[in-house]
Amino acid sequence: MTTQTKPPPQPSSASNLPVRRFTPAEFLALVEVGILTSNDRVELLDGVIIEMAPIGDPHAGTVDIYTEMLPSGVDRGTLLRVQGPLALDEHSRLYPDLMLLRRRADFYRTETPRPEDVLLLIEVADSSVDYDRHEKLPRYARAGIPEVWITVLPERIIEAHSEPSGGRYTHTHIFVSGGTITPGCFPDIALPVSEIIPG
Amino acid sequence: MASTQTKPPPHPVDVAQLPLRRFTVDEYFAMAEAGILKREERVELIDGVIVEMAPIGNNHLGTTDLYTMLFARAVGDRAIVRVQGSILLAESSMPEPDLVLLRARQDFYRYRAAVPDDVLLLIEVAESSVNYDRYQKLPRYAQAGIPEVWITVLPERIIEAHVEPVAGRYTRNRIYVPGDTISPSALPDIELVVSDILPE
Repeated sequence: MTTQTKPPPQPSSASNLPVRRFTPAEFLALVEVGILTSNDRVELLDGVIIEMAPIGDPHAGTVDIYTEMLPSGVDRGTLLRVQGPLALDEHSRLYPDLMLLRRRADFYRTETPRPEDVLLLIEVADSSVDYDRHEKLPRYARAGIPEVWITVLPERIIEAHSEPSGGRYTHTHIFVSGGTITPGCFPDIALPVSEIIPG
Repeated sequence: MASTQTKPPPHPVDVAQLPLRRFTVDEYFAMAEAGILKREERVELIDGVIVEMAPIGNNHLGTTDLYTMLFARAVGDRAIVRVQGSILLAESSMPEPDLVLLRARQDFYRYRAAVPDDVLLLIEVAESSVNYDRYQKLPRYAQAGIPEVWITVLPERIIEAHVEPVAGRYTRNRIYVPGDTISPSALPDIELVVSDILPE
């Protein structure tokens, strides 16, 4: 006689586990003692160490285009940080794709930029769009980052979120190929969307 | 439980949805050595995730003490009773069960971690953690080939005995209630009275 055996219960990923969280200081200590290395593409989100999706070529190229276009339009009081850290709050240390920051003489060598230092934050999303929209964006709003662009490569759009209030962005504008997009902090800059997301 | 966190994050992430950076047992130990994980923290490593264990209540403590006393008397030099110590379950899992009976060894496992092959019986006492024990830890014990696991479910006053792990699950499970006696398969002469372990 054979009995129908149930499939083994799947050891779930990490669902419902009370994960031990880390402070930003502990996160940096993990790097210092060599447990996290430069091979780790990770960030700290609410005390949880998250593996960031590997950067594909379309993602990398889009970051490059922004890197080329943005500096020419900004004034001398601004600096561009590409894939560098942001001390979002006391539980998070994130690595947005690009940020326009208030310029500091020391280039933030002695202190990680905080939300009040950010003029514009840009994410490029390939596979990570849900993470950017649902995990990161609300946290950027709560921290008071004035403007966030999510560049959604699969949908060929740029979502511009601005005017954070009560923990969310109250203005969202979708830019599609054909138009131009302008940062709130630099109204003279007009980036052609079709150059950022070519057809 | 001491915590190094000042206060809990205001908007906790749903960790089920996110690709966590997982850690190996070696990295886990390196964290303790570097003082990033503190001695007084009650944590265990499950599939590379550092998990905070529920605080132990008095009922849980007393039940564990009773098991400790009963087994320490009964096993003689046939086994080692390890209470709330860790087991090297897999490359990325180092849980701390409430009690394990280990194969006797002269050196009492001073020089290497106990691994699944060393375990005769593993016991968890569950007060609030029963779902965690049943659905997170039990399948992993089965995968690692721990031959026998008892989950002592205090709120339900039962002991679930799980034996014969095959392909990642236990193929024989039996529920013991007050009135029964229960014996480890590896040491069948030892008989514990369930109503002693789970009094009214």
